[in-house]
Amino acid sequence: MCLRFSAAMPLSTQSQADDEQYVLVASLDNARNLSNILKAITFKDHAIFNATPNGLKVTVEDSKCLQANAFIQAEIFQEFTIKEDLVGFQVNLTVLLDCLNIFGGSSVPGVSTALRMCYGGYGFPLTLFLEEGGVVTVCKINTQEPDEPIDFEFCSTNVTNKVILQSESLKEPFSELDMTSEVLQITMSPSQPYFRLSTFGNSGNAHYDYPKDSDMMELFQCTKTQTNRYKMSLLKPSTKALALSCKVSVRTDSRGFLSLQYLVRNDDGQICFVEYYCCPDEEVE
Amino acid sequence: MATMSCVLEGNRVKAFGKAIHALSRIGEELWLDPMVKGLALRSVNSAHSAYTCFLFSPMFFQHYSLGSGSEQGSATIKCKLLMKSVLPLFRGLNSIERNVERSQISISTPSDRVTIQFFCRHGITKTHNLHFQESEALQAEFASHLCPNVLKAPARLLGDMVMHFPVFQEEITLSMMPLSVSFRNYCEAGNDHMKMMYTEMSLHPDEFDYFQVGVDSDITFCLKELRGFLSFAESHSLPVSVHFGATGNPVRFYIKDMVLEATVVLATLMDSEKRGPSQPIGPPNPTSPRCADAAALPAVSYEADGSKPQDIPAVTELITSSQGSPIINPPALMQLLSPVDDPDRLGVSDEACPSATTTPASTMICSLLFRALSSEQDDDGCAARLPVLACHSDAEEDMEEDYRRSPSL
Repeated sequence: MCLRFSAAMPLSTQSQADDEQYVLVASLDNARNLSNILKAITFKDHAIFNATPNGLKVTVEDSKCLQANAFIQAEIFQEFTIKEDLVGFQVNLTVLLDCLNIFGGSSVPGVSTALRMCYGGYGFPLTLFLEEGGVVTVCKINTQEPDEPIDFEFCSTNVTNKVILQSESLKEPFSELDMTSEVLQITMSPSQPYFRLSTFGNSGNAHYDYPKDSDMMELFQCTKTQTNRYKMSLLKPSTKALALSCKVSVRTDSRGFLSLQYLVRNDDGQICFVEYYCCPDEEVE
Repeated sequence: MATMSCVLEGNRVKAFGKAIHALSRIGEELWLDPMVKGLALRSVNSAHSAYTCFLFSPMFFQHYSLGSGSEQGSATIKCKLLMKSVLPLFRGLNSIERNVERSQISISTPSDRVTIQFFCRHGITKTHNLHFQESEALQAEFASHLCPNVLKAPARLLGDMVMHFPVFQEEITLSMMPLSVSFRNYCEAGNDHMKMMYTEMSLHPDEFDYFQVGVDSDITFCLKELRGFLSFAESHSLPVSVHFGATGNPVRFYIKDMVLEATVVLATLMDSEKRGPSQPIGPPNPTSPRCADAAALPAVSYEADGSKPQDIPAVTELITSSQGSPIINPPALMQLLSPVDDPDRLGVSDEACPSATTTPASTMICSLLFRALSSEQDDDGCAARLPVLACHSDAEEDMEEDYRRSPSL
């Protein structure tokens, strides 16, 4: 990875001709609309970027058991030009976030960092043009060949239980989860306790119960009682996505695989999605 | 099987949580003692120089019941929990105020669990099952009626006083004289006086709801351990009573209202001459914790079973500890400490005396004498057995064997 800085001309005067060389150009008036959502999945250094005409998908994985994806649709960007059906690369996500926040990242109202993200294709670095208050920074981040994201084979037809909750009701329990518990146990059932999060820590166990008729429960579709445990260390990072979101859907399939989907509104009120997939730690009937 | 179950409504949960916060400032363990007269929560610091008890009467709860399925009839469970298990449940008091509608606390022997449930808005329920250890409860002995000095003031007044001391100020000195009460920060000699900020405030007796001075005294105690209690008292707008005596004796702070009462008993430094920046005392060991070390013990008082042991009639004043502070009375007194320590140490204590003078820190600091609540059951003569115990968790097993009190063990 290398960063090269220059006081270049403002982004708006970049000539159109320069764009010929890029297979992907994505612009945002407010870089936070990208950086905030990326923070929700930054638990590992490396991220796989996959861009299609529909938009950008950023994937982070952990130990083959956990996958987080952030989706930023093309409509979110002020400009989104892609010359191929699929453009993929891998970058150091921590470095990318540092660059996006290069002007300090403080949210002074009315002041935002503008971003123009350009990629020349295989072998080229990811080039970021960032501008705030007339100052432009150019960052070039080395890219690697993208790994193939794991396919968790989680399909909606195989979903046994699904609930949609307002994030507000989960934020506090998630932030106060007993971290001495190695697992987070999720029970979903058509009967009591309906939806339960449990921890088993050094001082004892804890259960958070959400009844199906709670006004925080937007959707409750549970067909079969299932209890699954997931490694706490894998799921705890999802707290960031939860904190940003207004709604979360929790789904388990017949294998006990977990899908968490978060609906996130960005600074401009537009909707983006973050999802987490997690393998169960062990089967509990 | 002994059980306890109680239900707290709405803002009582927050008050309960605030009490837990105050208790957490004292010690790392929390004793829950459900009694007929209410639920007592107690905590002691590791040096036994600070003790707090919050007693919530049955009226505090929406519902309070003691199950007594045991053959003994009135046996109740006394449990000890780790503060770090309990405090997180009550950490966010504002969040509790917003979200918790009701809380239920129950203790059940067969499962060795304390269950704390929060019934929150939107139908959400949080259930915590915490392991507990069965343990004798402690109670600090303190003869309030024997205290020559008594103050009573709104919590706000005391809060306003202590507010002027920086958060890191460990100890303060309260001086009582016929015409004034003053608070000042306590400066350990040896500190660089040029770097210290000295704060002193005086109050006229008229500022107090009640003012009784029996003996001029300066008492120096740990402020840190008092702050949580004062904060609780202020939040309930309760007057605080302060009972104390001559320098070196413990001080008790007490609040009471219709549904609860709370006590903090703090040990005070023994050697506290009126000391200002110009009068540094001899060099104490700068590395020894001050409030934390234990030395002298307060007056022993016996409860309503009334039988003062005949062979220690003189023991109504200071009793020395086994930790090397100077012996005031003859060796007969040392027997009183034997259940705590190995009997062999009795012999060692004489040797320990000379060392007392070479470790000045230990002469300066006091600890409290504790009595296990169930020692009332002890019918033995007190000559051989100490009815008052300085209870330490490590020593508990020994003591319980000595006392043959707990059939379940």
